[in-house]
Amino acid sequence: MDFSVLLQQLFNGVSLGGVYALEAVGFGLIFNILKFSNFSHSGLVAICAYLGYFLARQVYSNFIVTLILTTVAGGFIGVLIEKLIFRPIRLKGAPQTLFLVNSITAAMLVQQFFSATLGDDYFPYPEFMKQTAFHLGNLTVSKTYLMMLSITAVVLLLLTWVIRRTRIGIALRAASTDIRTPSLMGINVDHIISSAFFMAGVLGGITGYLLGMTYNVDPFIGSMILKGIIASIIGGMGSLGGGVIAGLLLGVAESLLIAEIGSSLTQIAVYGAIFLLLMIRPEGIAGKRYIIKA
Amino acid sequence: MEFYLKVLEITCLHTILVLGAYLMTGLTGLFSLGQGGFLSIGAYTAAIAFLKFNLPFPACLALAVGMGVLVGFVIGLPTLRLHRDYFLLVTFGFGEMVRAALLHLAQLTGGALGVAGIPKLIGLPTIILSIVVITLITACLKRSRFGRNCIAIRDDELAATLMGIPVYRHKMTVFILSSAITAYGGALYAFVIMFIEPNLFNWLESAKLIIITFVGGVNSITGAIVTSIVYYSFGEFFRFVDVWRDVLLAFAVLLVTIFRSQGIFGNWELTPGNLLFWRRKAG
Repeated sequence: MDFSVLLQQLFNGVSLGGVYALEAVGFGLIFNILKFSNFSHSGLVAICAYLGYFLARQVYSNFIVTLILTTVAGGFIGVLIEKLIFRPIRLKGAPQTLFLVNSITAAMLVQQFFSATLGDDYFPYPEFMKQTAFHLGNLTVSKTYLMMLSITAVVLLLLTWVIRRTRIGIALRAASTDIRTPSLMGINVDHIISSAFFMAGVLGGITGYLLGMTYNVDPFIGSMILKGIIASIIGGMGSLGGGVIAGLLLGVAESLLIAEIGSSLTQIAVYGAIFLLLMIRPEGIAGKRYIIKA
Repeated sequence: MEFYLKVLEITCLHTILVLGAYLMTGLTGLFSLGQGGFLSIGAYTAAIAFLKFNLPFPACLALAVGMGVLVGFVIGLPTLRLHRDYFLLVTFGFGEMVRAALLHLAQLTGGALGVAGIPKLIGLPTIILSIVVITLITACLKRSRFGRNCIAIRDDELAATLMGIPVYRHKMTVFILSSAITAYGGALYAFVIMFIEPNLFNWLESAKLIIITFVGGVNSITGAIVTSIVYYSFGEFFRFVDVWRDVLLAFAVLLVTIFRSQGIFGNWELTPGNLLFWRRKAG
């Protein structure tokens, strides 16, 4: 492949990978604490994409303002999802499979709701800036992608700080190790779980806004989250850093492959590679091997 | 009358798929988002064998089922050892791979345009016969020792292993059986709906099969069948609210999991003993 094309695709891949990394972290936060795959994250991303669209189109067309509003709204929607969908079955002591079923149902509910009310049309975000790309020698650097990359980097750094240095972060890490012991230490586990969903919601809000801005908003935008879930699995189910690395790798690999062999073969290649990877090393890049104890 | 027959055909077709999913998810606890992949394999194999290679029709059906079994074996071999969430994603990946492959091999499969002009060779009697046979197989399996072992695997895999149940072999058998049933359903689908395309059964439809099983109750085949009949015929009868059908299904599932987590039917099965409820008053 031509060197400038390679560099171009590398850059695109890293920005795309950044979004996958955000998705993977949002997914992984919930998995660490409640130990189930939260497919409703895709519903959250879809809701925030639509919300961002309506805010930008109808209310106030400024990038920063609508992004912040969508992010905060995403956090609250995440808490709402937790209270309505997961808390009732958690308080009844439901088996793990029921959480999975509920989360898939929530994802389906959101997708079909948008499909039913707003139809299957595309909704494009308004143009936030006049000149969407600038040229750096041979490369066409898209401003949108650059923005996505910088926002992703800032958010992930912020999240690392929260998890490492704040009290809520320490409480989250404690709950990830064991969900019941923190309550013995005087920590309100319900609050921790709601905070985790809030944080995942914030991440989902940013993801939804960025995805909606890059690809137009339609009911099936939530399906892109599945790539993020796959990235989280490849990176290791227990590890957020692994999820980030895997997300970036996935984005880069996808971009390079699409430029080389076309879209449908890329799908086959990517899923085949994931297949093989899970066979050889099921715990992913940085995860811990599951030991099921009696 | 024609309309009701058509609705019955479509409902029974989907119920065959639900039964395949019931074997995997309800009985053995394997969550698979790849049922759509097996359906596409069965449908395309049968259609291409009939239209391009002019094989006799029963041979096409047998070939479709054979392909389903083969692919099920190949996919199941490495993946059934994985943890539940990984298995879910790997089967999702399998479904997407099948879809991408069907789109890519355009000379053979017609690519995005699909395969049209498949003659309608399956009528209602064949479908009803198929569904009765498959229900009988599922019911006999569920009541046998094999079925009890599978239920044990679903409830607690570690305990099942400790009890001496060969977990991997049981999972493989169920996976192959389920993929055979789904491929058969796919082949029937091709010859009843007369048009197939790669996007026919995506992962969301496969998820719906799992959800229908859970609403009906994982311990009840009757539950799966009744929920499936209600859901799919409802969709046909109330076409004008068709877009809301899935939203209603999602609400129903959430209500069931929160308020009646054993499913609507719980443990109840439609057997002659259960129907004669006045006999239970004795003793």
